[in-house]
Amino acid sequence: MTATMERPAQPPRTSVLPPVPKRPVPNPHVVAVWGIMIMLLGGGAWSLWELEVTPANVFGHFDNAARFIERAFPLNWPPLSELLAMTAETLGIVFLATGFSVFVSTPIAIMAAASTTSGRFSWTVSRLVIIFCRAVPDLVFAIILFRLFGLGALTGILAMGISSIGMIGKLYADAIEELDRGPSEAVEAAGGGRWQWILSTVIPQLIPQMIATGLHRYDINLRTSVILGYVGVPGIGYYLSGALETMQWQRGMALALWVLMLCIVVELISMGIRAAIMSPSSGDRSFLGLIKAADRSGWATHEPVRTRSGAVRVSPPWTGARWMRFGGIGILVVLLVASLIASNIRWEQIPRGVERFIPTISEFIPGTQGRFVDYWLPALIETVQMGLAATLLGLVLALPVGAMAARNVAPTPTVALCFRIFIVVNRAIPELILAIVLLVILGFGPVPGVLALAFGTTGLFSKLFADSIEETDVRVQNALRAGGATRIQVFFGSTLRQVAPAMVAHIMYQVDNNVRNSTLLGIVGAGGIGYWLMQTQAQLAYDVLSFLILSVLLIVIVLEAIAVYIRNVIR
Amino acid sequence: MAQYMTTHGMAAKGVAFSAPEERSIQLRNVTKRFGGVTALNGINIDFAPQKINVLLGLSGSGKSTLLRQINGLHKPTSGEVITLGTDVHTAGAGRLRKLRRNVGMIFQHFHLVESMSVLENVCTGKLGSLGGPRLGLFSYPRAVKEQAMEQLARVGLADKAFQRADALSGGQMQRVAIARALIQEPRVLLADEPVAALDPVSSATVMTLIGNIAKEDNLTVVCSLHQVELALEFSDRIIGLRGGELVMDRESHSLSLKEAHEIYEAVAVVSETELAQETSELAAVHQS
Repeated sequence: MTATMERPAQPPRTSVLPPVPKRPVPNPHVVAVWGIMIMLLGGGAWSLWELEVTPANVFGHFDNAARFIERAFPLNWPPLSELLAMTAETLGIVFLATGFSVFVSTPIAIMAAASTTSGRFSWTVSRLVIIFCRAVPDLVFAIILFRLFGLGALTGILAMGISSIGMIGKLYADAIEELDRGPSEAVEAAGGGRWQWILSTVIPQLIPQMIATGLHRYDINLRTSVILGYVGVPGIGYYLSGALETMQWQRGMALALWVLMLCIVVELISMGIRAAIMSPSSGDRSFLGLIKAADRSGWATHEPVRTRSGAVRVSPPWTGARWMRFGGIGILVVLLVASLIASNIRWEQIPRGVERFIPTISEFIPGTQGRFVDYWLPALIETVQMGLAATLLGLVLALPVGAMAARNVAPTPTVALCFRIFIVVNRAIPELILAIVLLVILGFGPVPGVLALAFGTTGLFSKLFADSIEETDVRVQNALRAGGATRIQVFFGSTLRQVAPAMVAHIMYQVDNNVRNSTLLGIVGAGGIGYWLMQTQAQLAYDVLSFLILSVLLIVIVLEAIAVYIRNVIR
Repeated sequence: MAQYMTTHGMAAKGVAFSAPEERSIQLRNVTKRFGGVTALNGINIDFAPQKINVLLGLSGSGKSTLLRQINGLHKPTSGEVITLGTDVHTAGAGRLRKLRRNVGMIFQHFHLVESMSVLENVCTGKLGSLGGPRLGLFSYPRAVKEQAMEQLARVGLADKAFQRADALSGGQMQRVAIARALIQEPRVLLADEPVAALDPVSSATVMTLIGNIAKEDNLTVVCSLHQVELALEFSDRIIGLRGGELVMDRESHSLSLKEAHEIYEAVAVVSETELAQETSELAAVHQS
């Protein structure tokens, strides 16, 4: 368009100027991404309609809410000793699961990182293992392992442990690839073999990241463990599901509140430790700083440190840092022993499970019992609908919340602060607990599930949205404002445009996540395929169970593939 | 520190390996290509045994690549590299590791694990002659730790042994890296731009240290530099590289400052192809 304006009177063929540039053909991948996004959002609107997530359905049950409060209060707390015992059991199982995963993920990540892998073959195999563990929901591992090992802690530890490999393995592999290769090259140049340089230079550099990722996953596994209580994994979740199934609302709500507090406390502790590990400078202000300051007094000579007998000292002196390191290792050992005691593992289940492995495989040959069209297909569709609906609803709610939480958009700093606090609180509440409360108020069905997922999605999107608004290039905003644009015009004209790529990636990620989680919420009564996973397991219909598991897997893998494609296009 | 010198094993070993051919490095018609980029083109050098050989040239002239030919971190595309009697090109993994035990190497960016103690960093230099992977200072035998302390005393950092490597200054880090190379009891020391990341005072300290140690231990040193003055002061021999080709090979004492500068001046205008070569060579070095 501009080109034709520049040279209006030029005869087309005799020009000495370069030819008019053709109008660029739109990149087909970008068009495809737009198509996918429109389909997802359209699908979300259709799902909200189909699942009848209407204001009437949501707000028309206030009498239920009143009745619920009547039924749930006063809270019926179990005896303190019992409460502590089940808490210890849960924390122990989660600790062992996370520890197992860290232990197994490390060698897998070494194989899966380009800088440390031994070859194309091991790289491919380890990446496939990671993708598989990520794609299969924890619940599915739990159901299969339940068949092998029966009721008990072992099933939960292995289910969460294996499932966590998907995240931990991937993050470890990424972290290894970002490490400084220099020290490894130095050891190689000194004649060190592959495992020598991996252990002496890669692992020491990786350790802070290993601990931080492990702690992060501990938080996630703690929430998951409550859901796994529904399929028989011991701990708080087990008692919670028992209380709700027998309609002991007062006991159930007490336990739900306890889980909520536990999640918040554990998250705060893990956030504190992570911050201290990942940025050593921030630790200087805390008590760590005092120990470090004491350290620095050091030695003033250039002579080697000697022991009392006069020999040169070759083992490190007991400085603050060394005490901390040993203290940390000591705490880990104590926690490991305590977890082994608290989780009541029945070790005799291991040989039994291994024995059953082969016969179990034959039970799990998939079949539909001819009810695919009547039962399974609608349930699968419902699960996907819940995921789509929750994503759209969460996104719509997040737009105003996120904008208000951003300091440079909110009318006053206080407003921004209030919305920020709302986001933090929102992120701390486990979706499961919210879903349980909503299920009691609104009755069984997909609506409470959608609302619970949408609530969590709102938190995530608002945070992302607010962060990106605060971090975007303000020069563009200033330029628009200088041109006389209003606040709203600036927001749509520049801010939204700049945030868009990150938003697109996160929308896809969240659809993926919500479909997975709606499967989980199904087992607590929110409908969809989760319900049938529970039912078929209870009826020992393993052929159908494995068919449903494969269907869920297929959906998750398709969504994951779309997400990867979108990330590659918009990068 | 003086008593360390007397107990130090290298002085005795120096006699055993005093024959010049034991410490020789020869490059015969060595060419190295990374993809379509020629980093080294038909290089023929006999490095002077037990002398300090300095490679001069712009970044991208092939200095780093040449150094990595000597210990087989890169293998030549064609030609022959004979280090301490081992043909680097045909040597298998085991043979190559054996060779590398005798070849110490230090780097521009020190390549220390910053979160580990200085002592443990020095101990990793001994991994080539130790069996099995090691994690943590306590996995090294006491004898190795004592050797590491001796080498740290030689570079004047024995008092820093238990500090984290990232608590040191750049010059100190490079001295730790030298101690890590020395614990191998090498016969050859390769230094890849050892002072390029250091301030002038630290540069002089590090170069003096390399010079003294080379004399004490009768090391054959191959060191790449880009400061002509430093090269003239500390080297026995200067080898000029430009665009992967040998352009000068002279005894340092016969070389004037002006002549040495000519290695650079001839390429005062860096052509685009050379820039491209530089970037892709760097990329290749980082990738491998």
